[in-house]
Amino acid sequence: MTRRSGIDRRGVLAGGVALAGSALVGQRSAWAADPTGGRLSIWLGYGETAPAYKAAIEDFKQLYPNIQVELLSFDLREFEAKLSVGVPTGNGPDILTLHDFIFPHYFNNDHLDEVPADLAKVVNDPKIVEPVFRDVCSREGKLWGVPWWKGSRAFFYNLDHFKEAGLAGPPKTMDEMWEFAEKLTKKNPDGTIARAGVSLRLTDGSGALQKFCDHYFAMTGHQILEAGAKPGTVRVTLKDKDCIDGGVKLLLDYIAHLHGPKKVDDWALKHDAQGFANGLASMLFREDWVVAFIRKNGPNIKFATAPVPRGKAWGNFHLAEILSVNKSSKLKKPAWDFIRLLQGQKYLDIVLQESGWVPLRLDRDFSAFLAKNPEYKAFLEPIPGYQAYLEPPNTAYVECTTRTGDVILAAFRDASLLGKPEGAKAVLFKAYDTAAAILKRSGIYSE
Amino acid sequence: MSDVILPQRSSLGARLAKGWARMKREHIIFVLCTLGPVLALFGLIRIYPIAETIWLSFYDYHITRRRNPFVGLANYAYLLEDGPFHEALINTIVFSTFAVVATLVLALACAVLLRSIEKAAPTYELLFYIPVVTPWVPASVIWKWIFDPTYGALNYALSFFGIPRLGWLQDPVLILFALVVVSVWKMVGYFVVIFGVGLRAIPEELLEASELDGVTPWQKLTKIILPLLRPIILFSVVTCTIINVNVFAPVYVLTASAQGAPAYDLKVLVGEIYSNGFVYYHMGYAGAQCVVLLLFVMSLLFVQFLAFREKN
Repeated sequence: MTRRSGIDRRGVLAGGVALAGSALVGQRSAWAADPTGGRLSIWLGYGETAPAYKAAIEDFKQLYPNIQVELLSFDLREFEAKLSVGVPTGNGPDILTLHDFIFPHYFNNDHLDEVPADLAKVVNDPKIVEPVFRDVCSREGKLWGVPWWKGSRAFFYNLDHFKEAGLAGPPKTMDEMWEFAEKLTKKNPDGTIARAGVSLRLTDGSGALQKFCDHYFAMTGHQILEAGAKPGTVRVTLKDKDCIDGGVKLLLDYIAHLHGPKKVDDWALKHDAQGFANGLASMLFREDWVVAFIRKNGPNIKFATAPVPRGKAWGNFHLAEILSVNKSSKLKKPAWDFIRLLQGQKYLDIVLQESGWVPLRLDRDFSAFLAKNPEYKAFLEPIPGYQAYLEPPNTAYVECTTRTGDVILAAFRDASLLGKPEGAKAVLFKAYDTAAAILKRSGIYSE
Repeated sequence: MSDVILPQRSSLGARLAKGWARMKREHIIFVLCTLGPVLALFGLIRIYPIAETIWLSFYDYHITRRRNPFVGLANYAYLLEDGPFHEALINTIVFSTFAVVATLVLALACAVLLRSIEKAAPTYELLFYIPVVTPWVPASVIWKWIFDPTYGALNYALSFFGIPRLGWLQDPVLILFALVVVSVWKMVGYFVVIFGVGLRAIPEELLEASELDGVTPWQKLTKIILPLLRPIILFSVVTCTIINVNVFAPVYVLTASAQGAPAYDLKVLVGEIYSNGFVYYHMGYAGAQCVVLLLFVMSLLFVQFLAFREKN
């Protein structure tokens, strides 16, 4: 058995991508031989954070007048694709902005530079960064990135709709949520839904599984994908004895509220943040950035945020954005200096104000922002007993959630499953098999 | 040696050797200088990537991984058990069949009708051609607005007939037909022009003579026009099939999960290849899917050539 050299293959890939016209504009900044001159490149998948980088570039120029900073932002999935081709072929950016789902790809393949001692000291201090976020970018006691901001999901509700339905406040439990959704739903004379009681995620496998998982956590106390016993491995909880009942009840609740008399949402209705901003949904589960989105796209919508309703457990999902330096960069020191700059209050304020993502520095003060923007209460204020959880490191994350989500989404459409626990159980087992097969194929499956 | 070349029945190799021997040195240099760069470029940007893709399909090649072992036919074996791939294959076949038939039938009908209004025909051809020059992405974005379940023009128009709101891009079946509509709208103008050129090449005398003989319009179409259009129809079927089997951009745009208007994730072959290669990073497996797509398209074309070949 022979194996072709990685350099050849990477060269071919780089050439192919260039020919297809999908290679990034510009040259790799790593070409610069002079560590105090050249081009420092940064690619973003979350373009809404670009204003903070742009502000930092101005100050960075004072430190390195001969270095030109190139800031490019892309659609998130495009960003992931470009990064996946660019970094291994030596054409990636100097600063890698990695969300925790894709971080393992770059750590596992030795593409990251170790965090300098002074920055590591900051990240390792639990008074400055919550350990759960530090752990995401630590391996074998070393740090490979600086967690910068977090996204978390909360419960959004329309104050006018709640008042109109005679509801005093947000639902506290999952059962209450479904009950409120039924009361809030408005129907047209032809029976179609004019306003969703709750905007559920009914399309896009990966996104749908994530949102389903929020409720699964509440119902079972577990995530669908959890860290396995061996580092880097992942286990699927859908067949766990203590999860089956909660999982089945949740799936049946979804189906009951998508078909028949209890219907609270419909596929042919505007969904998600836009549906909520247009007043077409009364409740929604989404991340921090939606606050700014609703303000911009639905200025007349009066809304508030609250913690996700509880079931057997109470907590919410988080994602983290990590700043790392490309190991093949020729501008490592300037890159780390840029990351140091981004830790300043000034830039963290911009991130929060412009994007709504919450900076991870506990030693910074955002109380003035919260006073002016009370809609961020559920994201910024610590709540005792409210558990924060992240996805486990998973190199097959997108594939696993997309394919497994497709199984769940197909079940949502299947009205024949109404009130049939055995049918719902079979769906969850099929979802388990789908996830397990992908994890096995990627060599990260754990029993 | 005579300058007159008489057609002879001989093998291709023999004919090539004979032709080569007859060529003067200057001719050879001229041919190499003119065709050489084109052939080299063709080899580099067409043949080499195909060869490399075939090679890649035998490896468990993962973009971000350093170790990418040779796996033989394992990627091809996995195709047999990959549900999403099967779904994509079926969707692509169904979509292509409807899109090719609808596009060509409509284009032929328009071209025949335009022949009867000779003077105005170029204006109409120009109008039909506008969608062809519109790039796929903006065209798809326009259709995404039209198909929007809440604010879209289509549902609004249907509401006057008492038809309730439909999720054109959210329903697994409707989205397939919505895609056919977009594809037909985009491509029909191109084939109207192609058929128009073919129709103009049919001698007027032939059609006039048939009218004098008392043939009906249907007989004229089926017994004279269509047989004479056979080479044009073959070209159109082949081109239209290739375009539709490789559909990707409109599916990507129409199903893009933009805020508020997420759509059903319709799987098509090229979309699956993109997902496996650039979203899940299974470049080797995506390579195997590319090879299957290549063979699939080539088989279709072979069948089409057989079906439309000229009978002696």
